[in-house]
Amino acid sequence: MVSDSITNASIPSIPNSKDFAKKKRTNRSAKLKQCKLDARREQWLSQGAVKSKGCKDGLGDDRKERDRALENSRQREEDNNNDRSIHHESDSESPSNSPVNSLLSGGGTDSATNFGGSSGSSSSSGSSVCGSSTGGCCSGSITEEEEEDGCLDDWEAVADALAADDDNNNNKTEVEHDNPCYQSPSESQLSVQSDSLHDLTSEFGLDSVNSMPDSARVGYNMRAWRPDDAFRPQTLPNLAKQRSFPASDRRFVPGGVPWTCNNVLTVPSSCPICCEELDFTDSNFLPCLCGFRLCLFCHKRILEEDGRCPGCRKPYKRDEIESEASVQGGSLTFRLARSCSMIARS
Amino acid sequence: MVDFGRVQKELQECSRDMEASGIKIAPVSDNLVHLSGTIPGPIGTPYEGGTFHLDIKLPDGYPFEPPKMHFVTKVWHPNISSQSGAICLDILKDQWSPALTLKTALLSVQALLSAPEPDDPQDAVVAQQYLRDYQTFQGTARYWTESFAKTSSLGVEEKVQKLMEMGFPESLVRSALEAVGGDENMALEKLCSS
Repeated sequence: MVSDSITNASIPSIPNSKDFAKKKRTNRSAKLKQCKLDARREQWLSQGAVKSKGCKDGLGDDRKERDRALENSRQREEDNNNDRSIHHESDSESPSNSPVNSLLSGGGTDSATNFGGSSGSSSSSGSSVCGSSTGGCCSGSITEEEEEDGCLDDWEAVADALAADDDNNNNKTEVEHDNPCYQSPSESQLSVQSDSLHDLTSEFGLDSVNSMPDSARVGYNMRAWRPDDAFRPQTLPNLAKQRSFPASDRRFVPGGVPWTCNNVLTVPSSCPICCEELDFTDSNFLPCLCGFRLCLFCHKRILEEDGRCPGCRKPYKRDEIESEASVQGGSLTFRLARSCSMIARS
Repeated sequence: MVDFGRVQKELQECSRDMEASGIKIAPVSDNLVHLSGTIPGPIGTPYEGGTFHLDIKLPDGYPFEPPKMHFVTKVWHPNISSQSGAICLDILKDQWSPALTLKTALLSVQALLSAPEPDDPQDAVVAQQYLRDYQTFQGTARYWTESFAKTSSLGVEEKVQKLMEMGFPESLVRSALEAVGGDENMALEKLCSS
């Protein structure tokens, strides 16, 4: 829901200025489209709510239907360039759907597959971008501005922001913009998306994983590829467990970041102080830089007494504890990822 | 309140590698707050060949507070009181950490036997001797080890005899002596409490 409102609010300004002429030309179809789009959104919101409750069986069928609709619409687009509304509708429904689904279902998997499915077979390169909020924004922009150039221009803005140093990709994008080839807009978008994300993630994965916001980005990068993706960089660790939420936070990027390194190496199954099992919160709780883990109860008790880490005997620092605990929570990581993508867009 | 779950686990883990470490911990009473520990004298020291018994009492705050330990066996050592058996060791006082266990604490005591700190003495007389006349110190420490820390088989039989004369059956006396590591007084205490 949040990403929907964000995209609705933030996106129209850019392409409105850029594509004023185009807008005029397709004013009628745009109005028609908007009506349909609203209805569609209502429909998808309600459906997404149902889906999020766990019945994911219908997704495949929905996807197939959408694929078919997309194919048909493409054919029609090629034959008759005036008939845009259908394509827009079919094209728009999936991206507007995907962020909703991703938010409701709480994980990137569904939305990723939705996006891949909705864009047809062209997305076989596995650019399952929608797991992250960046994907949500991009798809949102596609939703709002269905005019092919507007959509691509908008994407260009995103791509510029995302991969400012990636000249090749930008050139490629521009070439495709100049050429109003409508047969494969989603293909070109997706390939650009995946390429630029590829570079981004390899940068992030190798260079800038040392601070907390970056760790959030790493989390978002995880979702840019599926584990079985052929284009997935081999430098990325295997993140199959990233999708199952409870075990995710402490397993990702082995050896990438000092503190994650500690996590991976020394996550005990039970608290060394009280010998009780460490639950999810406890095992994500790293109160001291020395890497000594303990359960929250024992930690609280120690704070009440001498307040020194049992592992290194250094006094605990309270601010570090709080920031650590909050950033390790999955929800905040997700929010950080979204805000990162917002920054990247503007 | 002592964390009995943890104490239980510590005892299990200690008995698991007792052969390697030579360190034994056994409960004296049933409620696990009173334990007895046994450490072998470190090889290459005047304490070599001896078996040293310690009395361990767990405070309510254990493991957040250090266990209270003192030597039952008489020891001639600058950091151990020759009178009371009190131990001067930082990890048993302000440097205790809840991450330490009874076994690691006993290992530290064992390390203290092989590395005396005469500048921070518990027993001033021993420390003086250690600093001024190291040879005499070694002789005395070895003699004390021979006298108090070694339990010959004959000694065991004598203790059994002595305890049986107090009116305890032989099987109980033997098992009690075994449980406390051969210490006569602790065996008597165990026999009386059981």
